[in-house]
Amino acid sequence: MDYILSIVTLACINMIAVLGLSIFTGFTGLFSFGHAAFVGVGAYTSAVLTYYYPVPFPLALAAGAAAAGAVSLVIGVPTLRAKLRSDYFAIAILGFGEALRVILENLGITNGARGLPGIDDHTTLPVVLLCLAGGVVVARNFLRSRWGVACVAVREDPVAAELSGVRIFRTRLLSLVVSAVFCGLSGGLLAHFLSFIQPVMFTLTQSTQLLAAVIAGGMGSITGPLIASFVFIALPEALRVAQMWRLVAYGLLLVLIMVYRPQGLMGYRELSSLWGKRAGPSAGRRP
Amino acid sequence: MFLQTVITGLSIGGIYALMAVGYSLVFSVLNFSNFAHGAVIMLGAYVGLALATKLNLGFGLVLAGSVAGAGIIAVLNEKLAYSSLRGRKAPSLYLMISAMGCAVFLENLVYATIGSRFYAFPEFFGRQVVTLWGSSVSLLDGGAFLFALLAIFGLHLFIRRTRTGIAIRAGVCDMTMCSLMGVDLNRLIAVVFLLAGGFAGVAGVFLGVKYLVYPTMGWVTNKAYIAAVIGGLGSLPGALAGGLILGMVETFVSTYVSSVLRDVFSFTLLIAFLVWRPNGLMGIDSEDKV
Amino acid sequence: MNSPAAPLFSVRGLTKHFDGIKAVDSLSFDVAEGSITGIIGPNGAGKTTVFNIVTGLYRPTAGSVLFRGESITGLRPDRVVRRGIARTFQNIRLFNRRSCLDNVMTPLFQRERCSFLGSLLGTPSTRRMERELRERAVGLLQVLGLERFASTQADNLPYGFQRKLEIARALATEPSLLLLDEPAAGMNPEETRSLADLIAEVRERFQVTILLIEHHMDLVMNICSPIVVMNFGALLARGTPDEVRADPAVVAAYLGKGRGRR
Ligand SMILES: Nc1ncnc2c1ncn2[C@@H]1O[C@H](COP(=O)(O)OP(=O)(O)OP(=O)(O)O)[C@@H](O)[C@H]1O
Ligand SMILES: [Mg+2]
Repeated sequence: MDYILSIVTLACINMIAVLGLSIFTGFTGLFSFGHAAFVGVGAYTSAVLTYYYPVPFPLALAAGAAAAGAVSLVIGVPTLRAKLRSDYFAIAILGFGEALRVILENLGITNGARGLPGIDDHTTLPVVLLCLAGGVVVARNFLRSRWGVACVAVREDPVAAELSGVRIFRTRLLSLVVSAVFCGLSGGLLAHFLSFIQPVMFTLTQSTQLLAAVIAGGMGSITGPLIASFVFIALPEALRVAQMWRLVAYGLLLVLIMVYRPQGLMGYRELSSLWGKRAGPSAGRRP
Repeated sequence: MFLQTVITGLSIGGIYALMAVGYSLVFSVLNFSNFAHGAVIMLGAYVGLALATKLNLGFGLVLAGSVAGAGIIAVLNEKLAYSSLRGRKAPSLYLMISAMGCAVFLENLVYATIGSRFYAFPEFFGRQVVTLWGSSVSLLDGGAFLFALLAIFGLHLFIRRTRTGIAIRAGVCDMTMCSLMGVDLNRLIAVVFLLAGGFAGVAGVFLGVKYLVYPTMGWVTNKAYIAAVIGGLGSLPGALAGGLILGMVETFVSTYVSSVLRDVFSFTLLIAFLVWRPNGLMGIDSEDKV
Repeated sequence: MNSPAAPLFSVRGLTKHFDGIKAVDSLSFDVAEGSITGIIGPNGAGKTTVFNIVTGLYRPTAGSVLFRGESITGLRPDRVVRRGIARTFQNIRLFNRRSCLDNVMTPLFQRERCSFLGSLLGTPSTRRMERELRERAVGLLQVLGLERFASTQADNLPYGFQRKLEIARALATEPSLLLLDEPAAGMNPEETRSLADLIAEVRERFQVTILLIEHHMDLVMNICSPIVVMNFGALLARGTPDEVRADPAVVAAYLGKGRGRR
């Protein structure tokens, strides 16, 4: 029972990060190979606060999320302002994530590559579920708001968006910061769930996993990536598949999706649109 | 001290250049960053390792076998993971994601099947050291550097002089045009991947001999990718120059500043180039029209 | 309608080179407030390029763009929109995977002041504003005869309606100058005639000045005055439809180079 609870908790923590990346990738149309770094920033910031200082857990979580958002500005401002080619942007953020990891490996306060053991385990399933539910509501509201609408417009056609009065740079930057905040929150929860964090937990491989969940779940969908992320974490965990075979599967999945179904499982749809309205707005798409 | 740093920098740079060539070749024709290249290098090293330890072949045959093996792997990789994307003219980003998937897949497949053990090549060159103007150079480093220069020069000649090479250059200019003129695109791209894979094989063996063979050894290719960006993605002379520059800069940073900051510095360099000089030092303009 | 007042909009000596090609060549003309001004010219004359410069997508090589007497040369596109210039695109650019309603809501939203926190929390006041905007969007769709497509995904719309949706979206930015790039392209003669009525209606109802590029001569001759004729990036003629039709240079340009599309 405990085992199942911990699997569900872990999966839900991951879902929060995927939710964030989904806003950035699925709804704003920018790809990132570096979002695990924001999870790492959130994890380390909150862990350091509760570990060395008597900071209450909720405050530490908030600080972790805020720190991730702030750090995302460092890479977001120069790269998004320069309007890089989309693949160059994904690579630039990859480089940023790797650089951040190297820094984490060499700081004293993070205890270097050996990792930080003995973090208080404040994270419980109810806390995680609360954060996840809150996150989904906030994400949905964001996507309906002026800014979320702008994000989707930028994804669909940057030129037309700009001529609808959307400020492209600001919109993309905001989307990045919002997604990083979600990742930071997820990191804070993760650190206080595992009680142990290490820089290698926040590398390119983890970024690729997050991206695989978003892409497999479906671009422009909230429910799709959430389902995918849950399955990605819970299924192999429940089947006790070794970590490397999971990664073999993620890698293969990424290739297969790109080759056969780049819009993903639930591309541009939500779970709610699958039942009920048959001839819904997105039915019968032309080639 | 200074001269020693230069020599160490150059020898690392030579290997970076050897790996960067593979990125540049693919980028010049297909316009995407083939992150599976690192995994192909790693597989090339394992092929070489198998030939050297299981069959006790000499260095020359190991190198040849690894070149052939990695070349075939690269061609298969293209056929399975990229060609259909290419066929429907998918954005280069999709190709890149597919490549990233391949890298994760191959790396962990090796990890899961062969294991995470570190393997060493037999000592082909011993630890011989040549003394050059008072600085010592290991024979391996010197040889690797010269070989890298020769191989890249050979590739350069191939692309300038042979029919296939000229077809590749035409493909760089305009793929659709090329297919209209009756060049077999699939064959052309297979040749490009064969070449890139061949270079991956060479790089894999040199890396393996110099360091060790293990599943994540392809990670160094991130550096080679940075070298390719510095030189200008898609440019062969750029790959060479970028490799040498990065090798030197890194060695100087780690000697005179701090070895910790070395990697941070390299990644910062990558971002800076992507933002301010995406075409690198020698790259061709690849901006899309509005 | 010869108003003595300063023109709403003008370009002065506008020039744009694309390595070697002079796409626009020291072009100057005025657009009077309330007019429907037409731009015609053979394919490749530089008409779309003028729109691209005006809306800030391209930086001109030389020359300036004046709007309400102020220079807007080189302003960023979203700033140009805020000044009151909106446009449609020759090669349709809709937010394809969004509904028609969302397409029109996008620019409406950008004009509103919203509280970020309020939006994230979904406060009643932001919900109310959202409802109001939706009603306004539906209103705009109605004017263009698109209300029954409100929830249709934009790329599922028939071609002619996509052009109309572009006009609706442009109007949602509340422009005082509307630039239409070949609004009738791909329409049959009947659709073109009803589009002419629609454009006239839009001008009345929204009090916009219209600058319109078109290859359908009947449409231009019917509703535009004055007409600006471009050739090889430069101004060839300017005048009423009758004057333009009678201009020997215009006739020569059109006969000499074919008549463009249709
Ligand atoms: N981004 C660009 N880069 C290079 N050349 C361009 C670019 N945009 C336009 N041109 C060139 O400028 C010239 C004018 O193009 P433009 O699209 O403005 O013509 P047009 O009058 O709108 O033609 P049409 O009636 O076919 O729409 C053409 O020769 C075109 O090839
Ligand atoms: Mg045009």
